[in-house]
Amino acid sequence: MSTKAKASKRIPRVGQGVARLDADEKVRGLAEYADDLQVPDAWYGYIVRSPVSHGRLRALTLDPDYDWSRIVVVTPDDIPGENIVDMMGRDMPFIAHDEIQYRGEPIALVAAPTRKQAREAAAHVRADIEELPPLLTLGEMIDRYKRDPSELHELCAQTIRKGDAERALEEAELVVEGEYRAGHQEQLYIEPQGMVAVPEKDGSVFIHGSMQCPYFINPELCVTLDLPPEKIRVKQSAVGGAFGGKEEFPTLLAGYCALLALKAKRPVKIIYDRHQDILYSTKRHPVWSRYRTGLDKDGTIRALCVEYVLDGGAYTTLSPVVMYRGILHAAMGYRCDHVWVDGYVFRTNTFPSGAFRGFGAPQAVWGLESHVDDLAKACGMTPHEFRLRNALREGDVTPTGGVLRHSVGSPAVLTQTVERSGFVEKLSRCSHGRVSDGKWYGIGMSFFAHGAGFTGDGEARFKAKVALDLEPGEDGWPVVLVRASSTEMGQGTFTILPQVAADGLCIDLNRVRNPYPDTKYVPNSGPTVASRTAMVVGSTVYGAAQKMKKQLEEYVTREFTGGQAVQLVDGQFLTADEKVAMTFEEAATHHFQHRGPLRVYDQFRLPDYLQWDQKNFVGDAYPSYSWGCNVAEVEVDPRTLEVNVLKVTGVYDIGKVLNPVLAKGQLEGGLVQALGYAVMEKIEIKDGLFDASRMQTYVIPTTLDIPEFDLDFVEFPYEFAVPGAKGVGEIPMNGLGPAIANAVEQATGVRMRELPITPETLFAAMTRGASGPLLRTGTA
Amino acid sequence: MNKITRSWIVNGEPREAEFAPVRRLLDVLREDLGLKGTKEGCGEGECGACTVIVNGQPVLACLMAAGQVEDQAEIVTVEGLEKTETGRILQQAYIEKGAAQCGFCIPGMIVSSYALLEQHAHPDAGLIRESHAGNICRCTGYEKIVEAIQTAAERRAGNTGS
Repeated sequence: MSTKAKASKRIPRVGQGVARLDADEKVRGLAEYADDLQVPDAWYGYIVRSPVSHGRLRALTLDPDYDWSRIVVVTPDDIPGENIVDMMGRDMPFIAHDEIQYRGEPIALVAAPTRKQAREAAAHVRADIEELPPLLTLGEMIDRYKRDPSELHELCAQTIRKGDAERALEEAELVVEGEYRAGHQEQLYIEPQGMVAVPEKDGSVFIHGSMQCPYFINPELCVTLDLPPEKIRVKQSAVGGAFGGKEEFPTLLAGYCALLALKAKRPVKIIYDRHQDILYSTKRHPVWSRYRTGLDKDGTIRALCVEYVLDGGAYTTLSPVVMYRGILHAAMGYRCDHVWVDGYVFRTNTFPSGAFRGFGAPQAVWGLESHVDDLAKACGMTPHEFRLRNALREGDVTPTGGVLRHSVGSPAVLTQTVERSGFVEKLSRCSHGRVSDGKWYGIGMSFFAHGAGFTGDGEARFKAKVALDLEPGEDGWPVVLVRASSTEMGQGTFTILPQVAADGLCIDLNRVRNPYPDTKYVPNSGPTVASRTAMVVGSTVYGAAQKMKKQLEEYVTREFTGGQAVQLVDGQFLTADEKVAMTFEEAATHHFQHRGPLRVYDQFRLPDYLQWDQKNFVGDAYPSYSWGCNVAEVEVDPRTLEVNVLKVTGVYDIGKVLNPVLAKGQLEGGLVQALGYAVMEKIEIKDGLFDASRMQTYVIPTTLDIPEFDLDFVEFPYEFAVPGAKGVGEIPMNGLGPAIANAVEQATGVRMRELPITPETLFAAMTRGASGPLLRTGTA
Repeated sequence: MNKITRSWIVNGEPREAEFAPVRRLLDVLREDLGLKGTKEGCGEGECGACTVIVNGQPVLACLMAAGQVEDQAEIVTVEGLEKTETGRILQQAYIEKGAAQCGFCIPGMIVSSYALLEQHAHPDAGLIRESHAGNICRCTGYEKIVEAIQTAAERRAGNTGS
């Protein structure tokens, strides 16, 4: 009890590239994903879908010649509660009962002992539908928008008004205009959607499966199943990738499984095959944006007017918040006193668009950062000079009037990326479509921010909760369990949260675990979205760990040292003279024997000075921002017009880097998704359905498509959320598209205004010839 | 259809399975032999998550009928890797380098790595990328996977003195 502490100098876990705590089970094939769960006696669910894009359901009948004795069918009449998916709009039914808004919309559910039988039975449900004219594509939507927006069904709208942008535009020396569009993008997580619902004897339902947000499912099913919250238990299985695709969509799948399971009185599972998954799950919102910017010839931005329009698909779902994040990033990053942004989401009769990494921001940055190159050109500046001149800095004001008070990685990311990539020298070597032999070379850049955490005062109002449990582990030794609803989907939650907890407690990382969230045990730390887990949940875990540390120190002081204060350092309780009173394990074991396990809670708080007016979009749109800059180098083959991305340089400020190996992994993976968005991934609407339904037709990057990466971090920790992380999950998706488009312009002389950039679209743009910015001289 | 019985060496152990010959090898492995490590990402030979080794060759278990796998064939799945030195070296390198994120592609990916290293002691980055082009990963951007395989190859060559 009184040996001198040998090593009280502590090595923090935060900031170390420790191996993922779930890596072992993953490389050994032991992680249990939804389809691996052992569910005795489970039947398989299947969804009967509307064959038309828009119509009125007159009648639903079961084929009288088919044997229905071993089949369970669920129609809206079987729904105990409200046939409504709440989300943001309350306009989407779980199962269509009257008007049909998209091809593939569920009109009934079936379950059978085997997958094959379920699919077969679904084909024997007959729907009598009166067809109505549909609106199917972004192109048609934008044509109507330009002609007369009242021809469209508006799902939501929001404006940002700072200054008088129309007047400032009239007074500017130059006005530059540009339009940009991008289509759907499929998340294409490798594990398809999968869910299981188990009806329990006490009338409750257990939902287990692949999801990002356990507490999204619980309240929705309360409404649909007419059950109190305690009767719905939701647990996450291992998740084989999500990227937003398992944010809101699994709520629907959970509902389908639960409705079938309650009627069948047995477990029901639904595992999508790849075709179903691509055809009938959410995608990134297609976007069209139009910029009108007023400039002075010296490069000062006088006015920014932006229209930002999303194709929401058939129902509201999460579109308002996607659009909010979009408009908050559509003019973000540059000094300008007069900013007007109009955001809209309109309905098309297609599968509802949804969450995808970046959540509206990549669509916004795509337009903005393409446009900024046109602005630079219009006033005779290089892309980096123009950006450096106008980039927001600490103390500057955002488009919503929020002040960037601290932890502002701009312009550091910009200057460092320019230097690191050799941008200035390489810019002078670009081909501009003028080299007749060999390949065209181009270099382009983008600069961007990403708001960390929920938009607006979301985090201040939500107050994320976490708990830490100190209890005996399976090996008999004490373990600290992180109890949060934050999920592991590959990004590293189950490693970074234990790292933070270990540091907050000052114990060894191997005494901390992060089990799969189960609403029976975890408080609501919120959904695993919005680049919020490291910052918001991480700092709340740190707070809880410090509380637990204090309680244990008081316990040891009271029970063992006769009132002499102790401090928990490196897993040992030390007295003031650095003598070891006892170990963490001894104290915890004593606590179990005499007081039982220990649980502490903590809640996220934000500084009071953060203000947000949700109606007018004025104030601090986010608690803090991550910052990034990308430089892309491309080679274009003049004969085939193939765009080969040679190298990507990037510097990011994500606040304190909790785990550099995992954080780099987020950058690389996110950039490769952004690469796909920029030059490969194309999926369009044909006859109301997506025109690709397999990996052979929806092509994403393979090992052979990867450019050279040169990536680094510059740390501006967020001081109000110890240990100071901001967010890394989404920002890699934001900027590569426009950096590549800007490089393609430098290579070919052609400004691309649509993603993805393919040989076909490049050919069309070069043939059209009209590629430059629309430039007119202002009246002043 | 009549069922057939096959005796295979699966991950070094004799296993017997009885199945309709056209059933997918993937289903026989997962459902009959309980080897759930092998994953189904697409079911049509495009993602590589179900890659296993049959008689030394990497194959896609979702495309192969179990009846095509002859009696006494040797099958290696992700669960069998830890029984081999190459497999253990690969697992360790994947863990250290952060090569697994969501982990769903990893059973197929690391089996492909194993097949590569068993055939080529010193693969260069080009060969690593080419030999894994059929294994789709949506999380990592492949950088850390390639690093892990390079590291494993070096360590393995060091161990065997080759």
